[in-house]
Formats: sequence, C-alpha cells, structure tokens
Amino acid sequence: MRIIALVLKRLTWFVPTLVGLLLIVFTVSHIIPANPAVVLAGEGATQAQIDAIKEKFGLDQPLPVQFWRYLKSVVSGDFGTSLYTQRPIAEDLLTRVPATLELTLITIVIAALLGIPLGVIAAARRNSFIDHALRFFTVSGLAIASFWLAILFQLLFAMKLGWTPLQGRADSWGPDPVTGFFVIDAIIQGDWDIFSDVVSHLVLPVMTLAFPAMATIVRFTRAGVLDAINSNYVLYEQAMGLPQRVIVWKYVLRNALIGTVTQIGLIFGILLAGAVVVESVFDWPGLGLYAVNSILRSDYNGIMGFTLITGTIFILVNLLVDILHGTIDPRGAG
Amino acid sequence: MQTALFLLQRLARDKTALFGALLIVGLILVALLAPILATHPADVAEFHPAERLQGPSATHFLGTDRMGSDIYSRLLFGARITIVIALIAVGTSVLIGVPIGLLAGYYRTWFSDLLMRVSDIFLAVPQIVLAIAIAQTLGPSIENVILALSITYWPFWARLVYAETRSALNNTYVEASIALGASPMRVLFLHVLPNISSSIIVRTTIGMGGTILTAAALGFLGLGPPPPTPEWGRTIAESREFLPDAWWYATAPGVAIFLVVMGFNLLGDGLRDILDPRTRRSRQ
Amino acid sequence: MIRRRSMLKAFGLGALALLAAIAMPLAPAGAKTKFVFANASPYDNLDPHMILDVGRVASRINMYDGLLRWLDNPAKIEPWLAESYTISPDGKIYTFKLRKGAKFHDGTEIKASDVVYSMERILAAGGQSAPLFAPLIKPGTTKAPDDYTVEFHLAQPSAIFLAIVPEVHVLNTALVKKNEKDGDWGKVWLSKNEAGSGSYALRRYDPAIGFTAERFKDHWNKSWGPKPIDEIEFRTVIELNSRVLGLLKGDFHGTDGYLPQDQIKRLRDSKDIYIGEAESTRIFYAIIHNGREPMNDINFRKALSYAFDYDGFNKNILSDSVARNPVPLPNNIWGAPKGVKGYTYDLDKAKEYLAKMDKPPREINIAWMQGYQQTEQSAALFQAGLNKIGIKTKIVSDPWSVVSTRMRDKEQMYDILFLWKSTYYADPNNWVGEMYACNQIGQRNNSWYCNPEVDKLLMEALETTDQEVRRKNYEKASTMVMEDAGGIFVYNTKWFGPFNKKVTGVRFCPIGDGQEMRWASMEN
Repeated sequence: MRIIALVLKRLTWFVPTLVGLLLIVFTVSHIIPANPAVVLAGEGATQAQIDAIKEKFGLDQPLPVQFWRYLKSVVSGDFGTSLYTQRPIAEDLLTRVPATLELTLITIVIAALLGIPLGVIAAARRNSFIDHALRFFTVSGLAIASFWLAILFQLLFAMKLGWTPLQGRADSWGPDPVTGFFVIDAIIQGDWDIFSDVVSHLVLPVMTLAFPAMATIVRFTRAGVLDAINSNYVLYEQAMGLPQRVIVWKYVLRNALIGTVTQIGLIFGILLAGAVVVESVFDWPGLGLYAVNSILRSDYNGIMGFTLITGTIFILVNLLVDILHGTIDPRGAG
Repeated sequence: MQTALFLLQRLARDKTALFGALLIVGLILVALLAPILATHPADVAEFHPAERLQGPSATHFLGTDRMGSDIYSRLLFGARITIVIALIAVGTSVLIGVPIGLLAGYYRTWFSDLLMRVSDIFLAVPQIVLAIAIAQTLGPSIENVILALSITYWPFWARLVYAETRSALNNTYVEASIALGASPMRVLFLHVLPNISSSIIVRTTIGMGGTILTAAALGFLGLGPPPPTPEWGRTIAESREFLPDAWWYATAPGVAIFLVVMGFNLLGDGLRDILDPRTRRSRQ
Repeated sequence: MIRRRSMLKAFGLGALALLAAIAMPLAPAGAKTKFVFANASPYDNLDPHMILDVGRVASRINMYDGLLRWLDNPAKIEPWLAESYTISPDGKIYTFKLRKGAKFHDGTEIKASDVVYSMERILAAGGQSAPLFAPLIKPGTTKAPDDYTVEFHLAQPSAIFLAIVPEVHVLNTALVKKNEKDGDWGKVWLSKNEAGSGSYALRRYDPAIGFTAERFKDHWNKSWGPKPIDEIEFRTVIELNSRVLGLLKGDFHGTDGYLPQDQIKRLRDSKDIYIGEAESTRIFYAIIHNGREPMNDINFRKALSYAFDYDGFNKNILSDSVARNPVPLPNNIWGAPKGVKGYTYDLDKAKEYLAKMDKPPREINIAWMQGYQQTEQSAALFQAGLNKIGIKTKIVSDPWSVVSTRMRDKEQMYDILFLWKSTYYADPNNWVGEMYACNQIGQRNNSWYCNPEVDKLLMEALETTDQEVRRKNYEKASTMVMEDAGGIFVYNTKWFGPFNKKVTGVRFCPIGDGQEMRWASMEN
C-alpha cells in the first residue's frame, strides 16, 4: 500500500517537475543574445528577411507567449522544428536516443558484471593486496576526468596501437535501422562484419564510461557485503558451520546486492552526465552530443527537446529505483 | 578546538586520508607559490610562436604549447583558477543549500515541499547539462563558471540537509527540547546543525572534487575562462589537434586534475569514516 | 570467411592461381568504385537554397546544377544548364538559353519553368542564398517565354549578377510540389531528399552520418573523368585526428584542405597519399569596429595594424601554410593591387601612432569564434602584442550563432573580431565590395567603415561592366581601405587537399573547394 501511495505522490509531481525544468531551461536558453534567425537568413540578409524568419518560427512573440505555445505543442506531441536542420525535433531525437541508450546500457551491464564480483572479493579479502589495489582503482575511477581518459584511450588504442577506431558509431552506415540499437540490428540482419565493426566502435566509449560506474559499484558492493558479514544472521550461519565461501556468495551477496541495485539511479545519472562529455570526444551521435551542439548553436527547440527527454528518463529511473528500494527494503521508503 | 585536534589525530592514523590531505596542501602551496615556482611566469599571457610544440626539456620541464608558452608554468598558475572556482562555487552552494534544507526539514508545510520540489527540478537532468546551458548563456568567464556551478550545485546540499534534519528531529533529545518550548532557531542551530554537520563536511569535501571535475569539463568544452587563462580543462582541449605527436601537451593538466580530485575524495572518505559512525564499519 | 577458406584449401594452390588469373581482369570492370570523403561540418540539411556555406558545398555541387558554373582556379564562370546568355543594353534583362534534353534524376526534362520556380523559391523560402538575390530580383519578375528561355529582370544593373547565377540550383518543380507540406516550399522534404539533375543522385542520407550518391549516367554533360567514380560518400567526421587516421588507413580517400600543417606532415609521410596544393581565395582578417571610439581614430587603427605579429602567426603558428595578404582582397584575384606591402609587426611604429592620439585608449575587447582554434590563437597573439604597447584588452568568444547576431548591431558588435571571408562568388565585390561599402553597413559591412571616396569606387565598379574600370577601382579601393587601416588583413588561405593516390584528376575551384567529384577518376 505504501508503495502505491509513494508512486501516486511521485506521479502527481512528475508533470510539474518537468514543466519547471522546461521553464528553467527555456529562460536560460532564451536570454542568450543569439538570434538564430540571423544565422538562418544567411550572411548579409536584410532586416525584413530576418523578421520574416522570426515570425515564421514565432520568435517575434514575447517570451511567456513562446513558452506557452511550446507547452501546448508538446502536449499535442509536437516538439517543434529544429532551427538548423528544419526537421521536427522528435525525428532528430529519435535517432539519438537509441545511440545513447545503447552506450549507457552496455556500460551498466559491463560495469555491474565486473564490479559486483570485484566488490565481493574486496570485502571477502579486506585489507589484502587485492583490496588495496581495488581501492586505488575505485578512487581513481571517481577522480579521473572522463574527457582526459577518453583522449588517453584514443591516443593509446586508436592512434598508437591501431586496435580500435578513434570515434563514431560505425565505419560506414551501420546496419539498416530496425530498433536503432546497432548491436541488435546487426544481429537481426546476421551481418557479422557490421557487427564486429559496431562492437569495435563501442569499446573505447564504453571503457571510458564504465570506469567511474564500475568504481561506484565496487564501492557499494564492498560496503554492502561488509555490512552483511557483520550482521547477526551471518554469525548464525557461521555458527552452523557453513563454509565461508558459501556464506559470502550465497547469503551475503543477496543482501549486499540490494544496496547496489538501489544505486543504479545514481549510476545512471553518472552515465548520462558522462555521456555529454564522452559523446563529444568520441563524436558519438547520441543525446549528449546533440545537447552540446544545440546549446552551442542556440537551437532552442533542440535544447528543450533534449531536456524533456533526459528529464523524463531520469525521473522515471529514479522513481523505479525508489519503488525497488521500497519493495526490497521497506524501511527506506518515504 | 578539541574536536579539531581529535580530527587531526584520527586523520594522522588514516594513511590514505593523510595522503589526500597532502595532495590538497600541495595544490594550495603550488597555487600560492606559483610565481616563485614557475620557470616562465610571464608565459601566462606571453607567447613565443617560434618555440611552439617542443617536447619536455631542461628549459621547459613539461614542454611548450601551441603558442610556444611553457606548459609547466601555466600549469602552476592553473592551480589558482581551479582553487578559486571550486572554493567559491562550493561555498555558495553550501550557503544556499544548507539553510534551505534546514528550513524545509523543520517546517513540514507546503512551502518546504515546494522548496524540495524546486531542488528536484534541478536534479532532474545531469548537473553538467544545466551548467553548460547557463555558462553558454552568460558567456565564458571565470565568474560565470562559478555562477553556473553554484546555481546547479546547491540542491545537492539542500537534499542532504533536508533528509538529515528530518531524521535528527526524530532524536529523543531534539524532540524533548522542542517539547520544552525551544524556539525553532534554537533547535535548528543548537541541536540539529551540530548533529548533521559531519555529513555536511563530508559531502562538501567530496563535492569539491566533483566541482573541479565539472569545471574542467566546462573548460574542455570551451565554456571556461577565456584564453590565455591557463585553465586545465581548456589546455586539454587545445592539445587534441596536436595529437599524437604532442603527447606531453594534455598529460600534465590531466594528471593535475586527477591528483587534486583524488586528494579531495580520499580526504572525504577519511572524514566520513571518522565522523559518520554509521558507515564506519565499511572500512574495517 | 570460414567457408571461403576451406573452399580455397580444397581447390589447392594451382586452382587458386587459376582463379586469380581469371578474376584479375574481371574485378575492375565488375566492382564499383566508391570515394569516401571525411568532412568537418555536418550535412544536417541538403537543401541547396537553404545552405550556402563552403563547409557543406559537396551536397549542392554534386547533386544539383545551375545555369552557369564556377570552374578551376582562379575561378572562371562557364555555361552549364544554359548554353548561352544575352544581356540587354541597359544591363537589366538577362536572357538565358537552356540546353535541350538535360534531365533531372527522375528522367523528366529540365524546362525554363523549373528555373523560374527555383528563383521564386529562393526569394520566398528565406534560405541562406536569399540575401544574394533579394536586392536585385523581385518576386514574380522572372519569366519563361518558352520552355528553353529564361529572363531575369533586375531592379538595377549589376556587374555581379552573372557571378551569383551559379547559386540558382535548379529544382525539379513537380517533385518538390508533390512533397510540399502546408506551403513550405518543400523545405522539410528537401532537407533530407534531393530533387536535382547533378552529376550524382542521392542514394542514402542520415543527418548524423552524411550522404551517399550514385553517378547519374544520363547527365547531359558527358565530360567525366577518364575513370569516373561510381559512388561518392561524404561523411561527417568532426574530430580532426579521425579524419587524418582514416586517410592513413585508407578508409577515407579525401578530406578538407585546411588541416594544420602538423597533420599534413603526417600525411605526406604516407606512400598512399598525395597533397594537392592551390592558393585559394579565403582571407583571414580582423574586423575593426570603425564606428566606435577609440577605433574611429585612424592613429589607433594604425597602431593596431602594427601590433599584430603577422610572421609569428603565418610562419610559426601556421607553419608557413598560408600567404601573407595585406589587403581586403585575395592576392590571386583580379583587382588585387600588386606590390602593396601592407603592415608589419613593428611595435615602435605602433607606439608612434599611439602617441598621436588625443588621449590614451580605453580597454578594448577582442573576439574569436568558438570551435575555430585559429581565431582563438590569433586573438591571444594579438592580445600579447597589444599588451607590449600598453593597450589593455579583454578576450571574448561566442559561438557563430551569437557572433553573427552581434555583427549586425552597431552597439553589440565587438571592437575586434577575427574571422574568414570565404568565396561565394569569385568577384572582388565578394570581398572588398561587401566588406566596406557604405550601404552594406550592418549587413555585410560589419566594420561600420564608410569612406565616401572608397564607396564611390565600389559603387561604380558594381554597376559598370567595363572590366578595366572595375579592375582599377578595386585596386584603388582595397589599397585605400588598407591605408585607412579599416581592418587587420592577415593571410590568404592555401588549400592542401589530401587524397588517396587511387583518386586522380581532382579539379580544384575555390567555390567548390575541390569537392566536385565528376572530374575525378578512381582506381579500384
């Protein structure tokens, strides 16, 4: 019951939060002295030509009117037109969302597959050499600037060794879009050349993004496992004479995982933030690069569209995590 | 005074935390002594195009950059920018976020709900995206980077203090003092704040590291202080055009960022262990 | 792969040799050649009337045709869809005779009505080529007396009309109209589709990746390269190092001709790559805001002009990859004065002129464009120079969207702004005429410079068609602007186009930037 109440409460705030977010971003993006109509009109355009473009995109209206119009069109499913590409924002974003999700989801899976066992090992052998090494690793993961790490990887693996491509999502066109997830599309079409090309393009950005994510997971898993080891029921199991390995992997891990799972929201946040920078370095055609480009070109509708999508994803993920948290660990709900 | 002494004693026993503290002291010393330590202090604003892109040597310890300036000297002066940005931005965020969190946590009215929802709004997209948008709007300068980071960073403290305040209010002795008719200000500042200050200190220390990373990212994207400011993130961005030949160009500033952020994180971890008994066990 | 390998094993070595012998002569005939170009700017819109910049020239120059076309370097204007043209004695009516039998990609013939439609679309749809034509041609005045004749009626005589005619890219009217939505002149559709008659026809497009186009064998012009390229692909590769690495690996066969010299050096070391060289017509300069104190004082402007380290920038920072260009006209275009020395980096002279001012100047701002490292480096270098003569400066930067807005506003315009002036049409008016004419102030004249004597020369040159008069006027005008220190003129770009050795016959023209691929050949 409490869960349902929580979800309802959160959902009532969902729309106001999004509108508030849009309002902030709208205000911020529209006080730039940039007049995108000037760029669109081309060099040497007269004021009349510029005014015509302004009118067409509604840029001549007062800001509150522009914002109201924007909200109304969003409700009807229209995110507006990009001032640059002249295409609907939704269409541009649609190709970008799978690119970013593919990157972040693969990263989360890899980070979890490696991070959880390493966290358990660190806890089980605490104060051993492995534990100290892992501690150095996790501290580094959260201290290194992702754009610098990305450049180091490029320098080493792409430029010096030539093992991986430098940037981009595929060497040429990639697979024909079905889901928009290149890995999946390549598998569906059974084209293994494209598949290996797509995978090789994923290696460096995933490595860059996975480093801090993995560091976070290792930390939380280690702390969770230690918490569980010190709790009473483990003492009981030990007293029952179960081997240490069984206790750690079977009983302790299950409890420790709860703590880690509820951190997925946090990790997802780290990844989305990381994607903004990492996509810029790797020229990855995802949401992050789209956001940076839109901001730099004052493409208002692009900035708003990105905010809307990211905000929605982010709020939903956090809601999901809270529900999980509430279900697994009722103490923390509310 | 006594608590400070206790803290120092405990820190001295924690080797990694001590290492972190040393790194931070190092950063501060480098920033203060930059004019003395630098071999080419004028190179912050002066260029020698004929000497551009030279590798490390006895005259140029870390090589020269695209304008022929000494990277080592510029790196030292860059420490000043990093400190200024991080200190002011985090300080402002604390000054905004802590009172908001305290008040919202104490008065459970529609207004405190509203305050928290406003902070939710800021937390609904990655901090860096809002910071980029604000920095871009205001134009690249040191002041604007600080402003952009402060505007986007305060909700983290507000959320933390809000949650901590609410749990502190459940303490028996706080409940008792409220029952005895203590004024809200008295309760908040005499009972709640001291009780939650350790969390704030820990969060602030780690927050310094995060702020330095975000500020560097803004500089990397070209939204930091303008050239010829020797900001570290900007230096790394400049170097990309000259890779792989000028490998030394990005190395030094990247390592510098790494060490400083690591310093704050290690110190923060150490402080957490000492100050926050609930997580202490995790480090045993 | 595995299957192929076991098959080869089964055949044995002898069979392998036999296979190779058979396959060898067949392969070139059967396999298509594909040229891949790595471009630094994204092809986010394919509409030839919306986009005018040189960075994205490949889509319009390869897939569309105009009545005339710029070719070679220095650029000459040649008949293209039009076989010939006549100009009325008053210089106001231009009549073009169309080539018969020229076809769009869908096979329909190009008629005069398509040209009329394209002209009206340029004027109405508000793209980047509209400002070129709007002052000269009013909507509804372009006529098609018959299927193969087009008449343009100019509002006033113009010496540059022919020079801008190549930008009238002719659209397939029926196709565009079919895809029009809510009277948008097909803007949404044309942003990602193509309705042209050019040498290549669009096959695939993705705004995040680029476009692929296939050779249009029915093109009216049969003079292709000896081994014409079957398929061209222009891909967006923003990161400089990726473009260079891709070329070294052979994934790309060409990229833009303005790479830093450090990278050109790397490419020269490869045995698979050659670097085409040409002096282009793209000048790098600093706009000085002449309409604001203290830059309205000629002494201050001269001091500024003597305080920029031209050699340090051109020779060291750009490794001598550019040519010093002292006037607001590229050295290599007619109308550029010969033997003019221009300013040098001379801080003593700068101080002399500074001393002649009534009062010491205030702090000035120097602007550069985000994303263009050269503008940043020049701003920083200039600041260092001015610092030495005691002029305080502040460096500011904005993205192009903001820069272009501020350039139009006298109050918002920066004191100094570094940028390029590219070639939209190869006529001196493209540079000195637009940059310093009084009636262009706030539009293309962003210096607020207005010298009545210079203006008289420019206006006369714009109206007369007497080549000798025009040449002399431009020589005089650009020298005068230089003497007035109306701007700081730094260099003229050299083009270093890196290409894979499989590709030959690249025909460089400043307007097409060496990217019109119909002239080139490619080995398999």
